[in-house]
Amino acid sequence: MITTLGLFLLLSVPGLPLLLALPALRSRLPWPCYLAILPAVILLLIPADFSIEVPWLLFGTGLGVGGASRLLLAMSVVLWVAAATLLRAPSSRPADNRLATFFLLTMAGNLGMILATGLVGFFAFSTLMGYGFYGLLVTTGNAGARRAGRAYLGLLILADLALFEALLVTAATTGDLGFGAARHAMAQSPSLGLYLSMVVFGFAAKAGIWPLHFWLPLAFRSTRPAVALLLGGVPVAMALLGMVRWLPLGEITSPKLGLIIQGIGVAAMLYAILTGLIRGQLKLLPAYAVIATTGLFVTALGTGLADPAAWAGYGNLAHYYIVSLGLGLAILTTTIGWLQARRGYPVTPAMQTDDSNPWFERWPGAVVRWGAKIGFYTLPGLRSSWLAKMGCLRQICAWQRILDSIEHSLQRWTFASTLLLLLAMVSVFLAAC
Amino acid sequence: MNWDAGLPLLILSSSLLPGLVIFFLPEERVATRTTLNLGGALLKLVLVGVMVWGVFHGHHYETRMPLLPGLDLVLRADAEAVLFVTLSTVLWLVTTVYAIGYLEDSPHRSRFFGFFSLCVTATVGVALAGNLITFLLFYELLTLATYPLIVHRGTEVARQAGRTYLTYTIAGGALLLVGTVWIYSLAGSLEFTHRGFVAELVDTHRAALIVIFVLLIAGLGVKAALVPLHGWLPQAMVAPAPVSALLHAVAVVKAGAFGIVRVVDDVFGVEVAANLGVTGPLAAVAAVTIIYGSLRALFQDDLKRRLAFSTISQVSYIILGIAIVGPAATIGGLVHLVHQGVMKITLFFCAGNLAETLGIHKISEMNGVGRRMPWTMAAFTISALGMVGVPPLAGFISKWYLGLGALDAGQGWVVFVLAGSSLLNAGYFLPILYAAWFKAPPDAWPAERTWGSRETFWLLLAPPVVTALLTLAAGLLASAPFSPLQWARFITAQEYMP
Repeated sequence: MITTLGLFLLLSVPGLPLLLALPALRSRLPWPCYLAILPAVILLLIPADFSIEVPWLLFGTGLGVGGASRLLLAMSVVLWVAAATLLRAPSSRPADNRLATFFLLTMAGNLGMILATGLVGFFAFSTLMGYGFYGLLVTTGNAGARRAGRAYLGLLILADLALFEALLVTAATTGDLGFGAARHAMAQSPSLGLYLSMVVFGFAAKAGIWPLHFWLPLAFRSTRPAVALLLGGVPVAMALLGMVRWLPLGEITSPKLGLIIQGIGVAAMLYAILTGLIRGQLKLLPAYAVIATTGLFVTALGTGLADPAAWAGYGNLAHYYIVSLGLGLAILTTTIGWLQARRGYPVTPAMQTDDSNPWFERWPGAVVRWGAKIGFYTLPGLRSSWLAKMGCLRQICAWQRILDSIEHSLQRWTFASTLLLLLAMVSVFLAAC
Repeated sequence: MNWDAGLPLLILSSSLLPGLVIFFLPEERVATRTTLNLGGALLKLVLVGVMVWGVFHGHHYETRMPLLPGLDLVLRADAEAVLFVTLSTVLWLVTTVYAIGYLEDSPHRSRFFGFFSLCVTATVGVALAGNLITFLLFYELLTLATYPLIVHRGTEVARQAGRTYLTYTIAGGALLLVGTVWIYSLAGSLEFTHRGFVAELVDTHRAALIVIFVLLIAGLGVKAALVPLHGWLPQAMVAPAPVSALLHAVAVVKAGAFGIVRVVDDVFGVEVAANLGVTGPLAAVAAVTIIYGSLRALFQDDLKRRLAFSTISQVSYIILGIAIVGPAATIGGLVHLVHQGVMKITLFFCAGNLAETLGIHKISEMNGVGRRMPWTMAAFTISALGMVGVPPLAGFISKWYLGLGALDAGQGWVVFVLAGSSLLNAGYFLPILYAAWFKAPPDAWPAERTWGSRETFWLLLAPPVVTALLTLAAGLLASAPFSPLQWARFITAQEYMP
């Protein structure tokens, strides 16, 4: 009985939001965003730890609740209920309808990540959450949010590639991809260095850890309050959880990587404090708070990698840190939103072009302006970003023309070129032998 | 002839006979033609279902008829054949439904559906061929049956594309014929055998075997669109959408890729091919094709042309999986035969829907189309993400096994090829999704047609939705019994069995 109930509940925690993401289903139900979170609430109220294996799902997927995951689930329930309340009537307008879809997809991914008991399940749910969150950022329609979304999506794709490589290395080492078994196997694997690098890079890119943080200030400044509230507790906190669950902390000693990560952590904290003080914008405070707190987290992580005994001392606090980070940032974001609303600031401000251009678009412009100041005029009246884009386009067109003409010639002399190629291939094979 | 000997022939006839009858039907006999089309497709589905069940439980289905002295026409249902037959049968059914909707009120429908049925008959013949001569016969029949479909519209561009297609494929067929005759003269047999039938010739005819391998692969590589033999495929996208779907997902490119699988597994045998040193260069050609196709796709504004270059890239995953040599990579290659078919057919159906409903042919015209055609674009999104390799969709399963197989075989470079390809796939598919879902729609579409409150005609909408669901199911339920993955594991277990 408990097993059947457990199976049903554990599957419906990510499954119900996923189903309700379909507008056709959602439109027939009242309060779909609250309804979607209901299985998670029920799971929290049942005071028993249990887990299931679903052998037919993907390569066999495990889901479970207990201890740390219960704590994280509680945090997520609070965040999603608060965000749903801020969203209000999510399916009333077409634009909001799309927002609700991405809201529910992100929720499904987030809750699934917490319940996943193995690497593959965690990875699949994290990808779902990532793409859902990209949609959430972009549907706000603000130019800054779209830029943040672009940067986040780029990092997400790179992160997924890195984590996919880590997964392959793990699968080549051990057949059991449950967290405990995989960590243990990788701790003794000759591919440990590659695995650690891929996992750290992958989750650092997803969490926006310095120096991969550049989308965070834009996102905090440009999105709706409901999305800003989720930023700390969803993409950032879940990526930190990924590091804790995937890395064989306490089982290995990696002084070099540990030192590098410690260095990144300290640099992140210094950067956040200094930049936060210099820019001094209230709405950006949560962004720099995220960079600083994730910096502190990776410093501790680096120490744990360098010294397993140290991780044994404070490693069990990592989940509490992630929960407090998620909740603390949500409170900070909401408070700042409330303060700004009292001062009459718009909820999602219109972006000023110059101010909102991220550094990767701003620096080429700065170079052109600097050239003009010292008397080196490039092309008057032309923005540097346009120059860069035109150059890129020219290159693409040139390649396109070359390849098109090659294929055109090949099509005119099909038979002759086929025979020629064949002869060439035969020669290569014979030479190889 | 008993049931076990008759079933392969029956499966072949279930599309051949309706096709022959349809040729002689007058244009206005819509109901009869539809009944014959759907009846044949459904009958074939049932018969293939019986065959799958039988092969899984150890039944041996074989039809053998004398063809030439010492050579038989053989139709045999082994596990590999069943994988390809099932794919073509299921996708033929959905493509038939789509084509009925797509060609409603068009001229020359009897001619179209007649050749359409012949094309599927040839594909099933390619799949069930039990020796190289039978394979060659159906392979050439496929060329002849698809040519009228490519030139169906009768425009100058279509005729030009048809000529290019014919030149390429006849040249390829000639190479295949030379290779077949040569290998027969050396081995005295053309029967597909587990681990091949040329092992005894390795010591005595090593150089000749290498040249024969190159001839066969070059001949098959034309249809499989291996670079640089791919030039016909982007041109052939002028054909109607159901034909493009058939070319890219079910019939032609798949016949080429399946032929390469047969040559490596059942003519040479994986171990002999590896011993001859031909699998490494084959993997390299596949890798170059994967990256080249993706790079070319990146720069296309015409939607079908972008999808065509994507096919060039994706089909080579199958060849890469076989050429890596190892059980996991073989599983990856074989399962991608099915997964690529299901994903790509969805994308072509959606491209057809956009063209037929809104007159959209270019990606630059797709802004906001997700709001006008949400179901079509949802199906497109699922398949595009599947192509990128996003979990838990079908493409993720293929890439997982290919990557794992590469690591098992000590060929780590393949993992970088897969990563680069995924990155490029994201580069050419995600901007389409962004434009469709997040950009504002234009004031008017290029050539809009309406079907009441529905986004498009239901016969056009149902097939991509069904195949998109199959894309999701093939990934999500990969470990369920009778999934494509389980069947690929079943084949590979037999291939690598000690």
